[in-house]
Amino acid sequence: MLNILVCLKQVPDTTEVKLSSSLTLQRDFVAQVMNPADESALELGLKLRDQHGGKVTVITMGPARTETMLREAISRGADEAVQLTDSAFAGADTLVTAQCLKAAVTHLGGFDVILCGRRAVDGETGQVGPMLAAMLDIPCIANMTEAKVEDGKMQALQLTEDGVNTWQTPLPVLLTLCEWSHRLRLPTLMGLKKARSAKVQLFKPADLGITSCGLKASPTRVTKVSSSPVGVRPCKKISLDEVIKALEEGGMLP
Amino acid sequence: MKIVVVCENLGNSPLELIGKARAIAPQAHIIALYESEKAPLEKYHACGANEAIGIGACGDDCAQGNRIAEAIKKIAPDSALFPATVRGRFLSGWVAAELETGLTADCTELMITEDGLLKQVRPAFGGNLTAEILCKEKRPQMASVRPGVFTVNADQAPEKPLEKSLLSLSPVLERMEKIAFQPVENDVSLQSAKVVIAGGKAIGSKKGFEKLFELAHLLGGAVGATRSAVDAGYIPYAHQIGQTGVTIHPELYIGFGISGLVQHTVGMNSADVVVAVNTDRNAPIFSCADYGIIADWEITIDALIQYLKERKNAK
Repeated sequence: MLNILVCLKQVPDTTEVKLSSSLTLQRDFVAQVMNPADESALELGLKLRDQHGGKVTVITMGPARTETMLREAISRGADEAVQLTDSAFAGADTLVTAQCLKAAVTHLGGFDVILCGRRAVDGETGQVGPMLAAMLDIPCIANMTEAKVEDGKMQALQLTEDGVNTWQTPLPVLLTLCEWSHRLRLPTLMGLKKARSAKVQLFKPADLGITSCGLKASPTRVTKVSSSPVGVRPCKKISLDEVIKALEEGGMLP
Repeated sequence: MKIVVVCENLGNSPLELIGKARAIAPQAHIIALYESEKAPLEKYHACGANEAIGIGACGDDCAQGNRIAEAIKKIAPDSALFPATVRGRFLSGWVAAELETGLTADCTELMITEDGLLKQVRPAFGGNLTAEILCKEKRPQMASVRPGVFTVNADQAPEKPLEKSLLSLSPVLERMEKIAFQPVENDVSLQSAKVVIAGGKAIGSKKGFEKLFELAHLLGGAVGATRSAVDAGYIPYAHQIGQTGVTIHPELYIGFGISGLVQHTVGMNSADVVVAVNTDRNAPIFSCADYGIIADWEITIDALIQYLKERKNAK
C-alpha cells in the first residue's frame, strides 16, 4: 500500500500574461489548466496506486478557482483533494510555497511518495520540489521519467545533460517528473460522478500553524518588469535562393 | 563582499559563473566551492577566483545538498551562484531550503546594485518580459544560471595566488544510490556546434526531425529543438534549446517552424547569423532573425538539402 501525494499547480493556458500593479502575475484573464508536468506526476501516482494499492491525494496552493483542477484530478482517478487557499497565501515565492506545502504534508501525517512536476510552464523555476524534499528531509530525484517501487524501494530514471541516471532510494521519497513521461488518463464516468460530489479539504494558514506566508514572507521580490527586446534584428524577409546566396557570400556553406 | 560559486560539474559553467562574478564585483572575494579532486583549480583562479575550498564528493545528491548548505553556512557569503544544470538546479533548490533564503532560477544577467545587492534578471512568462529580482534581507542571495549564458573569461586572475583549503563537514546520512548511468549518444555537441538546425512543434513527428538531422549532417552541425517539440516526444531533451534547455552560440542557426517564444530565443539569440523559416509572417522568431523565409518548413528544407547535395556532388 502506498500513500501518495501529487502536488499540482494551475497555470495559464497561454503565454499571454498580464501583470498586476504589484508586479506579480495577473492570472485572471486567460484559461487555466493543470501544469503539463504535473499531469505526468498525477498519472505516475495513479499507476503506482493501481500496482501497489493505497491512495492518491492531490494538493494545490492557489486561489479558490483551483478547486476545478482538483476536481478534474479526481475525475481522472485521484482519491482525495486538498486545497490551500487564502488571500494570505498569495504572491509566495518558491521558498514560501514549499514551506506551506511542507506544513500541509506534516499536518496530513506524511506520505510514502510525493510527486511533483519538474517545473511549471509559467514560472519555470523547478525549485519547489527539491525545496519541499529538503524541508521534509526526504530523498529527492529530480527531472525523472520512469519510476517503480520494488521491495519498498523507489527506482527512478533521471534525465540529465550527459545521460540517464538510475537512482535507488528507500521511501519516503519525492520525485519531480518530466512533462512527456506519463500521459494522463482520461476521466471515467465514475470519476466524473465522484468529482462532482467529492469533498475538497480546505486549509487556511492558521489551520496549518503557518504564521507568515505569501508575498510578505517571501525572501525574493520582483522589483521591476520590463518588456525585453531580446535579440531584435532587422530581419530581411527574402526567398530561399536569396538566403543561400547570402550564406554563401558569408562563407557559411560548406 | 563574498561570492561563492558552487562548482558542481567539471564543464565550463562554473568558470562562466566565476568570470561573471569577477566582472560584476571587481573587489569581491570570490570562492570556488568544489567537490571533485579533478576540479581545475588553476582555471578557477584564471577566471577570477581568490580562493578554492574543497568539500569532497558524495554519492547521494541530497546528502551533498546538505553538505553544500553546511559549507555555505560556514563561509557566510553575500551571494551563492549555481550552474542551472539538472543537478545544479536541484542542488540550488535543496540548499536554498536548508538555508531558508531566496533563490532565482535561470538568471540571464547578474549585476551588483549601488546598495551592493545582487540584481538577478530573468526572462518571465513567455511574453517578452524580463523580471528583475532582489533578495534584500536573507543571505546568501542565491541564483542559478544556465550553462552557456555567460562566456568563459580566463584572463582575470587575481594578483595573489589562489588560496586553497579543504573543509571538513559533518557526517551525513546517504540514502540515495546511483545504480546505473547510461550516457547520451551525442555525435555533435549542441552547445559547441558551429551550425545548429532547430525545429519546433510544426515539424510534427520524429520522421520530420530526420530531415533536420540530414541537413545538419550536410552542414556539419547539430540539431536543436523547442520545448514544445521535445514535450511532444519528437526529439530527446538533450536537444532542447532555451530557458530550460541548452544555450547555444553557433555561427549559423536555421530555425524551421519555430514561432519564437522568448523561452526558446533566449537560448539562441547570440548566434552570429539567424535564418528563420515560418509560414506566419508575424511569427516573433523573425524579430530575432537576420533572414526570414516565409514558407512551409518542409518544402524549404527539401530544397535546401537538394541544393547542398548537388553542390557537394559538383565539387
